[in-house]
Amino acid sequence: MAEVAAEQGLKIVDAFDLDDELRAILRPGEMIRDPHDRRHRLPRYFYEVPSHEAAKKIRLTPHFGLNEFILVDLREAPRLQEFPRYIPCAVRVLAFYLEQLRAAVGSIHIAVNGGYRSPAHKLAVSATPHMWGTAADLFRIGSAILNDKESITKFNAIAEELAGDLFVMPYGHEIGRADDHMHLDLGYITMLPREVSEDRMEVPQQQPRFAFEDRRGLDRRTLASEMVPPRDQD
Amino acid sequence: MKKTSLLKTAEVAERAKDSIAASEVSLYHNVLRIKEAHDLEVLGIAFYDYETTIGWSYNADTYFHAASTMKLAVLLGVFREIDRGQLTLESPVHVRNRFTSIVNQQPFMLALDRDSDPFVYTNLGKTMTVYDLAYQMITTSSNLATNLLIEVIGVPTIQRSLEELDINGVKVIRGVEDQAAFDAGLSNEVTAHGLLSLLKIISEERAYSVAASQKMLEIMHDQQFNSGIPKWLPKAARVAHKTGNISTIHHDAGIVYLENRKPYVLVILTAFDAQTGRSSAVAEVSRDIFSTLAGIING
Repeated sequence: MAEVAAEQGLKIVDAFDLDDELRAILRPGEMIRDPHDRRHRLPRYFYEVPSHEAAKKIRLTPHFGLNEFILVDLREAPRLQEFPRYIPCAVRVLAFYLEQLRAAVGSIHIAVNGGYRSPAHKLAVSATPHMWGTAADLFRIGSAILNDKESITKFNAIAEELAGDLFVMPYGHEIGRADDHMHLDLGYITMLPREVSEDRMEVPQQQPRFAFEDRRGLDRRTLASEMVPPRDQD
Repeated sequence: MKKTSLLKTAEVAERAKDSIAASEVSLYHNVLRIKEAHDLEVLGIAFYDYETTIGWSYNADTYFHAASTMKLAVLLGVFREIDRGQLTLESPVHVRNRFTSIVNQQPFMLALDRDSDPFVYTNLGKTMTVYDLAYQMITTSSNLATNLLIEVIGVPTIQRSLEELDINGVKVIRGVEDQAAFDAGLSNEVTAHGLLSLLKIISEERAYSVAASQKMLEIMHDQQFNSGIPKWLPKAARVAHKTGNISTIHHDAGIVYLENRKPYVLVILTAFDAQTGRSSAVAEVSRDIFSTLAGIING
């Protein structure tokens, strides 16, 4: 997946470096509960997508453009309906798996609101892998519209067979099931691009660069001390 | 000389009054004749003419199943949200055929073969703008577009807009094709007076703003179903309207623009037995009202 040349133009950003409004929307590093009351830490590193044209041009895999993962409607926060847009780096992993699924079943189509959804999206009632960029809702595979038990169950089985990493939602009307699309996800994966240095997590900043970090400083210092001993104590 | 002139004026006024009264009586008899001829179970009519300032109604406070005339209230609610900055005409909406019943919270889908507009279905999984959905909802009576817009703005917003604009006689409680709600006796309802007052507000450009009212009128002018009010009007007539048809209902509500005169607003609601089937009653009532108004003006 790393060989796709056009992707090299993507800028990686630490969401802590974004402006107040974007940080409030993306909530980098915050803990959020899933429907089973398990807590998950929201992603911090995002690709910055400068324009609609760029989103269309950038291929994450041979058959998946970045634009397919950022299709949203008016339920997304207004700021995230405008460019530059932000999408968690783990979307590359999802695209890789979708490419494998595509090879098995033919062309697949991600629904609007079916790729990345921010924590501010109106469909976001609790943590979902969509907020990590690691879930996709497919509304069509080939010419089959996925809105009945037969088609959803059939393609769910193929996806499960393909990779044990893929979770699919069973057909049904209740919460945690899907009846007018096929949901698949990889769980709560966060991706740390190799270009990124994590020193800001390991060494507390003397002068936090943003008010947001200032407010969160105590938590982050606690976290840092638990994770990695400071160098001067070696 | 002056005295004679005053007498003449009074005489003309008296004659005009007699003429209007006679026209009203004649219209009333014609309406009864049409009702009987088409075997209508219930008929409701209301109109207001801006040229003569004559208003007339028949059974105009009786509630009917709204059928698709409720889409006018949805349109009003959409423009309320646009006026408040909550939406724009360009806002993208995910086209998805999945809705939740107001009765049992169970999901339901619309049947393509029961929708008069297949176009919106071709966009399943994609987005359409609020404007495009509003346009399809009114001009081709798309049920899918209607339910999508209701989902975006919510039924309480629609009711709030009706209340804010002091429109009584239009009750919107649910979207289209919610069978569980229908079976439970929960349906949207309208009276002829209710729809008349909604249309008057739009035609007088008082529906939130002049721009919003004009945009709504622009959409209504593109109505594709013209077998009701416009059918037997002069070719030059332009009608901004919305129909409502189900197996036992045929309604039409609109604003009629004729050359060299101010418009009139007209609502015709009909209910009949499913065996009787749809008729041309709405078009006939519309033609009689046009003739009556033309007769009054021509003396």
